[in-house]
Amino acid sequence: MMVLMPFTLAEPAAFPVLERIVFAGLAIASGALFWRRFGPILHRILQSRKDADFRLAPFGRRMWEFVSQVLCQSKVIRQRPLPGLAHAFVFWGFCAFALVTLNHCAVGLGVGFLSPDGFFGRFYFYFAAVFALACALGILGLFIRRFFVRPRWLGAKLSWESGFIAFLIFFLMVTYLAAFFVPGGSPAIAALWWLHTLTLLVFLPIIPHTKHLHLVLSPATVFLSRGSFSRIPPLAGDEDFGLVAGADLTRLVSLQAYSCVECGRCTEHCPAANTGKTLNPKEIILGLRSYLNEFGPASAEPLLGKHNPPIAPFQCTSCGSCEFQCPVGIEHLPILVGLRRGAVNTGAWEDDHGAKLFLTLERGSNALGLQTSERDKFIQKQQFPIFDGTQEYCLWLGCMGGYDPKGREIVADFASVMRYLGTSFGVLHKEKCTGDPVRRLGNDLLFQQLAEANLEALTQNKVKKIVTICPHCVRTIQEDWKEYGTPPEVEHHSEFMARHLSQLPKPSQQESIAYHDPCYLGRYRNVYAEPRAVVEHAGQLVEAERHGERSFCCGAGGGLAFLGEETGERVSHVRARELVATGAKTIGTACPFCNSMFRDALAASGGNAPQLLDIAQLTARSLPQQDAPSAS
Amino acid sequence: MSGILVVLEDRDGRIGRISWEAVAAALQLASTVSQPVHAVVFGADTSAVAAEAAARAVNSVLRVDHALLKTYSSDGYTHALEQLIRARQPEYVVFPHTYQVRDFAPALAARLGQSLIGDVISIGGGPVFTRLLMQGRLTGAYRHSGGGPCFVSVQSGAFRSDSVPGGAAPIESFVPTLDTAQIRTRTGEPFRAGAQTVDLGSAQLIVSVGRGIKEAENLPLVQDLATALGAELGASRPICDSGWLPMERQVGSSGQTVAPKVYIAVGISGAIQHLVGMKGSQCIVAINKDPDAPIFEVADYGIVGDLFEVVPALTAAVKAAKQ
Amino acid sequence: MKIVVAIKQVPERDAPVRIDAAGRWIEEADLQWALNESDAYALEEALQLKEQHGGEVIVLSAGPERVGSTIREALAKGADRAIHVDCDDLGQRDALAVARLLSAAIQPDSPDLVLTGLQSDDLGYGQTGVILAELLGLPHASLILHVEKSGSGITVKRELEEGWFQNIELPLPAALTIQSGGAKLRYATLMGIKRAKTKEIRRLTAAELGIAAQASITLDRIALPQKQKTTQILTGTAQETAAALVEKLKFEVRAL
Repeated sequence: MMVLMPFTLAEPAAFPVLERIVFAGLAIASGALFWRRFGPILHRILQSRKDADFRLAPFGRRMWEFVSQVLCQSKVIRQRPLPGLAHAFVFWGFCAFALVTLNHCAVGLGVGFLSPDGFFGRFYFYFAAVFALACALGILGLFIRRFFVRPRWLGAKLSWESGFIAFLIFFLMVTYLAAFFVPGGSPAIAALWWLHTLTLLVFLPIIPHTKHLHLVLSPATVFLSRGSFSRIPPLAGDEDFGLVAGADLTRLVSLQAYSCVECGRCTEHCPAANTGKTLNPKEIILGLRSYLNEFGPASAEPLLGKHNPPIAPFQCTSCGSCEFQCPVGIEHLPILVGLRRGAVNTGAWEDDHGAKLFLTLERGSNALGLQTSERDKFIQKQQFPIFDGTQEYCLWLGCMGGYDPKGREIVADFASVMRYLGTSFGVLHKEKCTGDPVRRLGNDLLFQQLAEANLEALTQNKVKKIVTICPHCVRTIQEDWKEYGTPPEVEHHSEFMARHLSQLPKPSQQESIAYHDPCYLGRYRNVYAEPRAVVEHAGQLVEAERHGERSFCCGAGGGLAFLGEETGERVSHVRARELVATGAKTIGTACPFCNSMFRDALAASGGNAPQLLDIAQLTARSLPQQDAPSAS
Repeated sequence: MSGILVVLEDRDGRIGRISWEAVAAALQLASTVSQPVHAVVFGADTSAVAAEAAARAVNSVLRVDHALLKTYSSDGYTHALEQLIRARQPEYVVFPHTYQVRDFAPALAARLGQSLIGDVISIGGGPVFTRLLMQGRLTGAYRHSGGGPCFVSVQSGAFRSDSVPGGAAPIESFVPTLDTAQIRTRTGEPFRAGAQTVDLGSAQLIVSVGRGIKEAENLPLVQDLATALGAELGASRPICDSGWLPMERQVGSSGQTVAPKVYIAVGISGAIQHLVGMKGSQCIVAINKDPDAPIFEVADYGIVGDLFEVVPALTAAVKAAKQ
Repeated sequence: MKIVVAIKQVPERDAPVRIDAAGRWIEEADLQWALNESDAYALEEALQLKEQHGGEVIVLSAGPERVGSTIREALAKGADRAIHVDCDDLGQRDALAVARLLSAAIQPDSPDLVLTGLQSDDLGYGQTGVILAELLGLPHASLILHVEKSGSGITVKRELEEGWFQNIELPLPAALTIQSGGAKLRYATLMGIKRAKTKEIRRLTAAELGIAAQASITLDRIALPQKQKTTQILTGTAQETAAALVEKLKFEVRAL
């Protein structure tokens, strides 16, 4: 194979002493410039508060994520295949180049260890050349994308810094590859070596000064991640109220703030940023970085203020597409929720609707502020048995299922599915809001009260298994309540129905149904197939342009369903348009909040809106007529 | 110690309806305890209202005149009535349960070592006074015990003012001893809240319109009803979203939370976002052609029908009733 | 300004109402308790006055041990200290007797302002604040939505009927009963709860205050109102239903 190579492999002979001294001097200067910037950054990260809940275990999971996300660039490629691949080539090029570069510098000091004459050396130089070529093409592609294609989420401003870096990388590769075409011993070899070296020495100090810091930090960020999606860390001690000031920033948060590569994937998918809100997840992270640079991690200066607008975190629907997409391991939700906690736990957040929600839940049982007796009436009307420990499932109604007229229809239909299957279930007399909206809004006091009250009621009633129509309840019960006790097993009705599909009748007509993934079922629980199976059982599944992992939020999450009018365009309207655009006759939902958001959005769109049904309703339509009481 | 004093309030020189209701209550009490009823009027010069009171079936009218009683003050009224009660030694003192009475009657009763039985809705033999407890979820039957007069105030609308027969009662005068120094507060002129463009939050009557109205062109139909009632116009979210009405008229979780005396929902099906914004209304009327619409769940009165027929008929009926 | 806010713990709005065996009160065993709504506004008004003018907010509540949770909630919202009049015979006291208890507890502090909510959500007497003023010899005003300091006294905005208001000037010290809705309530925060742990709650008993339980009015028995809320569907032609509705609005709702 090597015989086929048309060029010779060249390397400069030993350098004169003067050149060696010059090189050594320049290398030290370059290293010092690197450290002058990187040292303080590292210091700020290490100076940040320790993450109280951080555990290195399970090590295997961390290694796997590192191999998959860093070495294999899985997230980078998967979420944006073409630029992702280009980036992966650059990354792999760098990896392959590490040995070459080490040798390159060693040559400068007269201690080169790879020789084109040796077998390994010769092999490796060619090996690296292949990567160099791929890397050069990759960076060229990325350059063209950034400067000529210019996707919206990279921002309107052209980053000349990125252009310069791209040039440096390209030039590094070119000077490496060019050496293959220059005959050995030619003075051009030395010139190429110096050009390559100077490029390297310029590149090194630029790294910590730019977003290319991610080269150094993001492998660590990915490796050290909290490990589960949207994990809200417990507060540590009596003086921890969330992210209030610099002193509350933990090492993970600071590390992540410095790791951001400004790719804008978070912004590209953010429902708030795409509908004219102030919130831009990328700017939140960069704001924290600017904060750290200006005030440092011990400061008492509020985090919401100069570098981050106080309103921004409260526009987050907690859909999690930012965190899900982030290729460098930034966990946006703990940060956004952390900022909310800081503002809410100290009372700094003033919002009429928010305060009303909190006051409602401080006094009452449900987020809608309705009387419990309304729920009792519904239970009686539906003849739902009260859970007494003998039934298999506790059917958790949730606020929407217990009080919202549409949510009640969904619960009633799901109950008829369970009845048809002969599955025993009961409902609780005393069910309070799971605390989902207040958890996401950062009200730890209220969340704790609700979680504890519910856990107590469940323990008293000896509930082992819960099933519910609401993915927010599922998530909150299963993950968030763990801070205050051991919740029972919980599943979403889509999972329950998917398991029993073979026993459920199929409709004769197959109408088209566009399924909308709820964030709290998809990204939060990784449940994509089950509701689709239910939809396919009931009709013809149609996918919206954005679906599955990349589904777009309905706008209700993160407590926003309760926070009053949105600025800019409504998230629900954007998503409803996408669903209508599928041309499906029916929109299938699997979350009562999504359902209620679309109900309004479709009503406002007027015209011939598709019908809107939960997957439980889609399923119940095919059941033989029962003597079950009507809904609501 | 005997007799029933019933304390009347006048507004702009006329005795108000709720005061006549208090007289009706006093007369009913009189029939169970067999005691005379004396009406009490207050002011700087009560000749006109005293004459008005004397034309009803009370045993006598007591004029309490003093320059310092020209405008209401808790101190002035408490002192004056204390003197009257000490002088007349009645067994019962009956008030209309007005904002003014709530302001001074508890202090007056306390000064005489008593507790007021307030906001009474019915009076039974014994006498037993019934009032609402737990925000109207319970009724409680109260008795007065021990010496001293029994103070009672009656809820607006609980007794029928038109049940008070006419009569010709003698008028007596009582002049209390009052001193400027005794009146510690200074009361300003009543005013209305500044003219806001839309204030659904404090509106007493609201007519709200939803998607059942179909076209923006049909809105005047509902506006006419609101105007006839003297009500504010509200709307559900889709109406405001479509730009048919401004956002500040939106009732619901993302708009305004309202609690009027009467809320008329026209062509509103009752999405939860809407329901949570208006569930605090004292009386909810729903007009919708869909008998299964969730709005009927929360309504006190429902009309299942075509709003394009019902609303104009209602507007006409309201206009007729107001004439 | 030294402000005492008298607050009451009442059954949660949502609480199930079950009449007890004696028929004189509801079963308390299963109840959840909360701060009375208008008292929450009284507390808010006091906290805002303190924030503007400095001073101290003291919350005062009478009742059995369970009242402690409501007192802590008030401390968490920003009150500086609390007085708990520990007694479990509130049911045997009428409004005057309860006010005597409270006034005896207030007296040693001689506050500039005594605030209470307009009315309790359970018994709904709406008298305690006014009686307190009488017992303490203070001028008072009721149904107050807003308080402003003016010179040596205060100017308050009082709600009248049918959308009317009036301003009243009072010298200090004074007592006010606060109407719900005048201010925006603050929500309870984690920080507030943690800070409240170190605040003083002084416990007094009725015996220590020397106030015996007595009542000139007694609650004999309670009952569920006969009319429960149901939806009346009016039927007929458009004209008939319209006429029927106007009739209802005029005579039953009394809104026309």
